[in-house]
Amino acid sequence: MKSKATSTPRIAGETKTTGSRLLKRIWQHKIFYLFMLPGIVWFFLFSYVPLYGVQVAFRDYTFVGGFTGSPWAGFKYFQQFFNYYQSGDIIRNTVVISLMKLLIGFPMPIILALLLNEVRQLRFKKTVQTLSYLPYFVSWIVVVTLMQRLLTPYGGPVNDLLGSFGTGPIQFLNNPGWFYQIIVGSDIWKNIGWNSIIFMAAISGIDQQLYEAAKIDGAGRFKQMWHVTLPGIRTVAIILFILAVGNLMSAGYEQLLLLNGPATASMGSVLDVHAINSGIREGRLSYAAAVGLFQSVIGLILVLTVNRIARKVGDVSLF
Amino acid sequence: MKRNWSKSAAALLVSVMLGGALAGCTGSPGENAASDGKLKILHNWNGSTGADAITPVEEVIKDKTGVTLEWEYTKGSETEKVNQIFATQDLPDIYTGPAWGGELDGIIKAAKEGQLVDISDKLKDYPNLAKSVAEENVPPALYEKAIGGIDGKKYLLLQNQPATNEDGMDWLYGFYVRKDIADKLGVDPQSVVTKDDFYNFLTKVKDADLQENGQPVFPLGGFSNGWAVGIGNTMFYPGASYMDKGDGTFEHSFFTKGYEEYTLFYRKLIEEGLMDPETFTQTDPIAKEKINQGRIAVLAAHYPAILDASKEYTTAHPGSDYIPIGPLERAGVEASRPVDLGIQGNNVTAITKECQGACVDDALKFLDYMASDEGFMLARYGVEGTHWKMEGGKPVADAEWFKKFNEDSTMKVRKNEGISIGLESLTGLDRINSAAGGDIWAEPARTEAMESARKILRPNGIEVISAYNPGDVITKAPEWEMLKPSMDRMNDAWEEAIFAKSDDAAMKIINDLRTQLTNTGYDKAMEFTNNELKGKEVVTVQMPN
Repeated sequence: MKSKATSTPRIAGETKTTGSRLLKRIWQHKIFYLFMLPGIVWFFLFSYVPLYGVQVAFRDYTFVGGFTGSPWAGFKYFQQFFNYYQSGDIIRNTVVISLMKLLIGFPMPIILALLLNEVRQLRFKKTVQTLSYLPYFVSWIVVVTLMQRLLTPYGGPVNDLLGSFGTGPIQFLNNPGWFYQIIVGSDIWKNIGWNSIIFMAAISGIDQQLYEAAKIDGAGRFKQMWHVTLPGIRTVAIILFILAVGNLMSAGYEQLLLLNGPATASMGSVLDVHAINSGIREGRLSYAAAVGLFQSVIGLILVLTVNRIARKVGDVSLF
Repeated sequence: MKRNWSKSAAALLVSVMLGGALAGCTGSPGENAASDGKLKILHNWNGSTGADAITPVEEVIKDKTGVTLEWEYTKGSETEKVNQIFATQDLPDIYTGPAWGGELDGIIKAAKEGQLVDISDKLKDYPNLAKSVAEENVPPALYEKAIGGIDGKKYLLLQNQPATNEDGMDWLYGFYVRKDIADKLGVDPQSVVTKDDFYNFLTKVKDADLQENGQPVFPLGGFSNGWAVGIGNTMFYPGASYMDKGDGTFEHSFFTKGYEEYTLFYRKLIEEGLMDPETFTQTDPIAKEKINQGRIAVLAAHYPAILDASKEYTTAHPGSDYIPIGPLERAGVEASRPVDLGIQGNNVTAITKECQGACVDDALKFLDYMASDEGFMLARYGVEGTHWKMEGGKPVADAEWFKKFNEDSTMKVRKNEGISIGLESLTGLDRINSAAGGDIWAEPARTEAMESARKILRPNGIEVISAYNPGDVITKAPEWEMLKPSMDRMNDAWEEAIFAKSDDAAMKIINDLRTQLTNTGYDKAMEFTNNELKGKEVVTVQMPN
């Protein structure tokens, strides 16, 4: 009787009924929604509210006019960016570094999660996990200072060790020959543990019966990993990959600001640092906003494109 | 009932959380309209610090002016700080900071956009302030650009412009070598005069393969972010940012042959391992650690910084003091010419729109008091009768405080008394010698070292520059907004060029930026500048200071 009533077409009351049902369901699961509330508030305040500031990219920002009262400037600042003599180099550097981080850095947490999953010694597993998470919580300024101390050719322990093997010293930092290795390597070291958490969670959600079935079929440890574990985390991996592609125009502000020097400027000048320097150091807030908006728009296009490809090819997508 | 209470409590908590977060994002200007006698001062100098609590000096200020001071100090770039405070509207009541560069440009922009208090009509009531901004007491281009008025209104005060030539501080910038190393190599530092001598001397240091604690000694080094290894520029062009083209017009030195030679010379130093390659990326603690480990043979900076940084090492290793090299040759200048120094005020001070009504009067009263002779000596020497006293018409330091201050290398004791906390940036014209009898806290050994270096580096004395600086004039050109970002890149481009793989690659970096400068209106801006400077005396020779 109840289901019949709801299935009857009711144009005017439909929305109201659906809305009430939604509210009712939210109320039923209020504890879960309460858990979500801080996250929603955070996103609203720091991701959606600031969106109104995007208009600064199209205005001649003045202190007195602010975000909404400054005169309109059209695409003036976008033109300035594309006419800037280094804009091509900066975009190229950003894409190259981001692609390297994506292609080399993305599989690393998956590999770590797979390896950890195979460890049977629980204490060892926990120790490795904890140690691999720690760097994520250390700020880049500390990481870079540590790197400067460890890698300097003038008394740094790494070069001392190399010296004991009869090689070196090597100038690792501010050296174009080692720049990409240092950038990608330090990024992986810092994030691998943290990024592996979600894959560990996905692995733990795989039905154990699948492993047992695979064993009965004669699969060894490697084949179980290949045929059960990897397909089991495929969906999560694709979703994370789509999100990571959205950051392709953002190579990492803090890391590049600190690790890039005059010797590596031709490889390490990236959009994030250019935007921050223009805005904060030079006071060109509208220009910086234009560069930032350009990054975001490209990021959005990339996410939409990869999402569509993923949906067609792998039947997995964000939306 | 219980459910209702918990619902209400949850709703209240959420409201408070959201309300608090949103309130944190807002701010209303002019909050300090009804003054409570408290003034918040931003001392916009990177690394400056204050006292742990209100100091005896500040107590005197409170007695004399009724004002209680609250300090904020900058950690990081001063230019970024200027842009940040106006963009976020997190304003102090009084701003004081560098009287040049991007910091001054930011303050001028703020004045034009209604962020500062117009003090034109009030100056007549504050004679010490009026004197510090009188046309005859301000460098001409700076007066026209900022101090004399912005869009017809006066917003800015200039601080520490030398009242007389004897008050001008010569920081004795130069290259200084460790005496023990020069002795070991058998080189008289005063025999190093030409750029070739300098290069050969650095090569000799490198070839000696000196070690300290198992680490190599760098022939040439500096402090953080490359300060001030680049001061060898005066061996290649006359040092000023703009040069006379020979026809009475001027061009930026970045476009000259001398600048190219200067760049390639430094590239050679890097390539041949004669200069510490980390000098442009290192932090100040790392730079000072190298100096304290005895790993820098030749240091480039001003002498007080070198004396401070090397104190620990030279105390532990007598005879290893840094002594001046040269004087080195100066390009395009007669050997007998006195050293041209740009000694001018170092702070511009302004009252922001945060301070309104009675607060403005409080701020002006406080600033006028600090600019008086009494305020000047209070800021520099401390409280009369406690830290110092007048004897025979001259200030004399209290012996006990003198000992305490000089034994404290952290400056904390001095700061907790109220000296060197930023008040010295607010004292009007600099008259340390002409009216205040000289620095009473200076260590005799340090004064002696400075005098000794002065005799070597300034054989013909100094000439304080009073001419127009084209750098101040070009900012008024209509093309400046487009040109400025390219001009701001000159130093970065130079640093990138000296690390380039080849001379050709270095020149490509320089030439690419030259093209960009031209494309963004350099020629027209210079045409404007040259027209403005017609018939005026212009700075074309300058040594670092």
